[in-house]
Order: sequence, then C-alpha cells, then structure tokens
Amino acid sequence: MKNVILFTIDTLRKDVLGCYGSKNKLTPFIDSLQERCIKFTNMQATGPYTQASFPGILTSSYYLEDGREKKLSPKKTLISEVLTKSGITTAAFHSNPYLCDFFGWNRGWDVFYDSMEAEVSREVPYIKGDEINKKVDEWLSSYIKGGEYRPFFLWLHYMDVHEPYVPEKKYVDMVDPSINFSKEEMFNLFKNTLLKRDLSDKRKVELLKKLYFAHVREVDSYVEEFFNILKKLDFLENSVIIMSSDHGDEFGEHGGLSHDGKMYSELINVPFLIFDYAKDRGEVSDALVSNIDISPTIVYLFGLEPEKNFKGYSVLPLKDRPERGCFGEAINKRSVHEKETDRPIYYYQKKELKIIYREGIDSWEMYDLKKDPKELDNIVEASPRADEMKGILKPRVGRWLKGEQLKQ
Amino acid sequence: MKDYKVSEEKAKGIGKKIDESKKIVRQAFEKFKPSEAAITWTGGKDSTTNLWIIRQVCLEDNIDLPHVITIDEGDAFTEITDFLIKISKKWNIDLEWLCNFDVLKASQSKLGNIVKVKDLNERNQAELKRIGFEEDSFTFEAESYTGNHLMKTVVLNQFMEENNIKALFMAVRWDEHPARKDDKYFTKKEEGHLTPGHTRVAPILHFTERDIWDNIKLHSLPYCSLYEIGYRSLGVRTTSNPMEVGVPAWQQDLENTIERGGRRQDKEKAMDRLRKLGYM
Repeated sequence: MKNVILFTIDTLRKDVLGCYGSKNKLTPFIDSLQERCIKFTNMQATGPYTQASFPGILTSSYYLEDGREKKLSPKKTLISEVLTKSGITTAAFHSNPYLCDFFGWNRGWDVFYDSMEAEVSREVPYIKGDEINKKVDEWLSSYIKGGEYRPFFLWLHYMDVHEPYVPEKKYVDMVDPSINFSKEEMFNLFKNTLLKRDLSDKRKVELLKKLYFAHVREVDSYVEEFFNILKKLDFLENSVIIMSSDHGDEFGEHGGLSHDGKMYSELINVPFLIFDYAKDRGEVSDALVSNIDISPTIVYLFGLEPEKNFKGYSVLPLKDRPERGCFGEAINKRSVHEKETDRPIYYYQKKELKIIYREGIDSWEMYDLKKDPKELDNIVEASPRADEMKGILKPRVGRWLKGEQLKQ
Repeated sequence: MKDYKVSEEKAKGIGKKIDESKKIVRQAFEKFKPSEAAITWTGGKDSTTNLWIIRQVCLEDNIDLPHVITIDEGDAFTEITDFLIKISKKWNIDLEWLCNFDVLKASQSKLGNIVKVKDLNERNQAELKRIGFEEDSFTFEAESYTGNHLMKTVVLNQFMEENNIKALFMAVRWDEHPARKDDKYFTKKEEGHLTPGHTRVAPILHFTERDIWDNIKLHSLPYCSLYEIGYRSLGVRTTSNPMEVGVPAWQQDLENTIERGGRRQDKEKAMDRLRKLGYM
C-alpha cells in the first residue's frame, strides 16, 4: 500500500501554473511533473477563503453545514480521524492560523504542527515553505527509524503565496527585475492598496500581481525541495501525492483584491493534480470535481471503506465516475473584516452553468462558463435554465437554521 | 488538598526556590521604589504565589507593598472575583481594580455584542486608530484583537502613565510555555508604539507548575475554587476550560500534560497571525 501525501498551497490560482496554460514560467518544477500526473482541469473549491474551503478539503463537508461557527464543528469528521482509526499514521505540517489547534483542526492527527509558537515577522507572517520542508524532513527521517513500518498520510500546506506579498528580491527579479522595491515599499503597497481594496490605480494592482507571481515562483522551488526530500528518503516511488490549493486570489477581475466572499473562478477554480510515480504518461480529466472529493479519494487510495460522514466521492478510478454538480458556500464579506451582519453567499455548478446567490441582497447571478469564462455576463434573467438551477441551490440557503428550528 | 503530600526533600527545594525569588524581589527594590512598581494579580495560582512572596519581602524588610492591580476584561469568573476580594481583605491589600468601563458600557457588558466605535470615548477611539482598526464597529470579545487592546493594554498603559510606574512584577514561569523558556528575571521594555517604557520583573520564573502546588500546600496559600474542579490555568471565562473535569489541578498529571491545554490563550496568537495576514 502506498503512502498518501496531500500537498496544499494557500491562495494559489490555477492560471499561474504553466501546466494550466500560464506563459509566465513561474512553476517549472510543478510543470515538469506532468508526465506522472493526472491533471484535473475542473476542480472547484467549496469556498473562496481558508475557513470556507478547508472543511471541503479535510472534512469533505461544507463550511456552513452546522451553522456559522468560527471553530471546526465537532460534528465534522476530519480525514485524520478516519485514517488514524484504521491504523494509518497521520501527520500535518502547516502555518495557517485558521487551521491551528485553537480552531479545532488538530483532531485525529498523530503529529500536528501548526507553527503557532514560532515568531514571525510583519512582512512574512507565517513559516515559509523551506521551514515546513525541514519539519517534514525531520519527521519522515525519524519515521523510517521507528521500527515496524506503517503507511502514512502526510498533509503539508504552504502559506508562501498569501499576502502581504513581500517576496525576496531573488524571486522578484525572476518575475520582473525592473521592480526595485524595498521591503517597506512592498509592505506599504499591501497596507495602502490591498488592505484597503483600492483598485483606483491600475499600476499598483499590476505590481501586486507581480509580487504575487514572485511568491508563486518561490513556492515552486519549495515544491521541488520537498520532492527531493521524498527522493532522498525513498518515499517518492511509494507515495501518491495529491496537490491542490484552497482558493485563488483576485486582482480586480470582479472589482476586488485578495480573496473575499465571492464565488468566481479566479477564487474557486483551483489546481488539482495527482502525482503517481508509477504512471508512465500524463492524463487529463475535465470532469467537474469538488474539493469535497479529496478526502474520499484519500480513503480510496488507502483501500478503506468510504466514510459515511463524507459528502464527496473519490475522483478515482477516473473511468465510470458519474457526473455530479458541485456546491460552495461562504460569508459574503467585502473587506478584510468579516462583519456579523455579512450574510452567506452560495453557488452551484452543473457542467458549464454556474449560479450564485447572495443572501444579504437577495440576488442571483448565472454564468455560462464555456461562453463566458470570465463570468461577466449574468444570464439569470435570460436563461431558460435559471429556474432549474435556482431550484437546486435554494434548499441550501440557511438550511442549518431550518435544522435548528425543526429540532426545537 | 488534604491528601496532597510534599516530601521533605521537595520542601527543602521549594524553600530554596523561594529564597531565590526573594533575592530577585530585593534586587528589584534596589532599583525601583515600591510606589513606582506594580504587582499584577489575576487571582490565579501563579500570581497569588508571586504576590505572597513579594509581600513577605516587604514585611521582612519593612518596605511598602507596591501597587497591586488586577485587570477586569469584562469576562471574569465570579469565583475569581470573589477570591480576589476575599484575599485582598485577608492580606490587607488595597487592590486596584482596572477596567475599561467605557467599552463595557458601550457593549452593555455583554460578550458578543456589537460595539459601535462612535459610542466610545475619545481615548478609546484614538486607541483603535492607533492599532490601525478602521471599521465602524467590532464584536466585544475579551481576547479579540480590539478587545484585548482596549480591555487590557489600554487600561494597563493608562494606569502606568498616571502612576509613573517603572516596574511591573509578573508571575510568568519558564515551564508554562515553550515560548517562555528563554525569559529573563528582568526584561527592560523600551518605550514603544504600544507600551510605555518599563521593566518587567519575574520573581517566580524558576517555579514549575508542580512547585507552585507544592508551595501552596506547604504554606497553606489560598487558591481559587476553580482549581478544585479541574482547571489548570485560569484566564477569562470564555477561553478557559477545565483540563480534566472534576480532578483537582494538583492531582492531574502535571508533568506530562499541557498546563494551558484547557486555556485557549492561543487564540490571541492565532488572531495576531490572522491580522498580519490581512484579516480582521
């Protein structure tokens, strides 16, 4: 039985990867893996930011399923809990505060490193990818020595693409050597433009995007370093590596910056690759899949019975997988600060059609992603299929409240 | 703590540790007048031990006791409040109760209520601006970023400024947290963006959690009743939980479990990181 490694990168847009069509040459290493990968072109996250998306990835359920809770609901089942029960060693290494033990994400892991004890700076407020790699290396090295070998599930998550976008000069130079910004200047750009969601100066938005690109380039080098660690410890050939992102990032596509509560493709449609050394040629799947399918896929790869609490389905085997629509939900926040008065936003996608509902202003949008991939032409009034799509999404609106009322 | 036993050998060790602490306290009094110093007292086991030791030095050396302060964040356990009142009477301490009443009023003293910034007084509004908070309102939570700043930092700063405080006695310990392991007995805090300049003194830095309980037993120190029902570390109500329900703190496996496991002060850390990432 192979080990399974889930490799997630925060805030990584799909379209910045060379293997997904970017011409910017930001990800030479990830691109070089394609011959041994299944590349999914149509993976949708359940939400546009960490708290809304990670319940999909690690618990195969939706963010608001149990109400609007800041901490992970005890009703949700983490993939770590499922695997530990079956005798698989589980380890997590990350640096995302929303996923730290305070918020309840440490359940079920044999090893859980969330970096919250580490000192971090204002410019880089997380542990960088190379540090995460070092922790993983230490753990894997000691794991080999630990006597009887058991398969493991390893989850690692990099934060390096996330704002405040103060990348090292080396990587900025790889993207655009004409940007001669000091750390202070980059930080001020974050503070005065990104945090304020100020799109008035197009050049500044372009600059932000280039700094983001520099981080993508940086992350690619950490991915390479991680693969080298696996190779060194002889884990590359006996591990399946699932790579994805929790959400993308916006640079003005729909009037915003960063990743607020919106459901458009630049935030929702994320990369999804499954690397298996045993494969001799790359495969591409255009099937519509959701990140709630990741945990069931891990369960499948370990040959375990499907977990009944999981809402998704394994994406493997590729053949004969029935077509399904996918959902997402989040709070429709519009700035750095989520207010109590902000209401949820929902989406449902079926093939090329996507419908979005904002509860706060009771508004519907629908897009034909094939004809209008940028989601600029709202066809909800014109499309004869709008009612059918609304009918599927409507029952999900505020459903946890209805559950509460029923119980009472 | 009837059945709790402390061996003779350990008692000797505790005696030495107390002497060590007293030495630190005396060093502090060489540098600072008692009127320029303040002892922070939460009502928890550590700060009570800390106060007990400093008070002893003052009695032995005939020095006035420094200011004794407690900060009410608006989310205190009644058990702790009762304890503070009872013991300050017993020990004849003029306890100074610090609280940001303006925020309390604006939130109607209810956690989770929305506080409108315009309902706050000028100082609090200015303080919010100072930490870069630009929203119109926030949720009143003791350990949120805004809550923490207004309810703790602001009142402490104000107290220090008004009383010209140069030294703060704190009850931190090396073993309470890995992040503390390099702490020093005396830490000079330069005047900064969010703090007036002062020196922090940590007389009981070398006490372990076990030492604290051994000492409480040996010298019949008072302790808050919450420790009897399983709390190991006390913060505000909403972020503290018992570690082992019904098992007194001193009977728990202090050596192999995390003292702050029931206490989610980690929340502050998480919030700080989130803020730096551009949330909040």
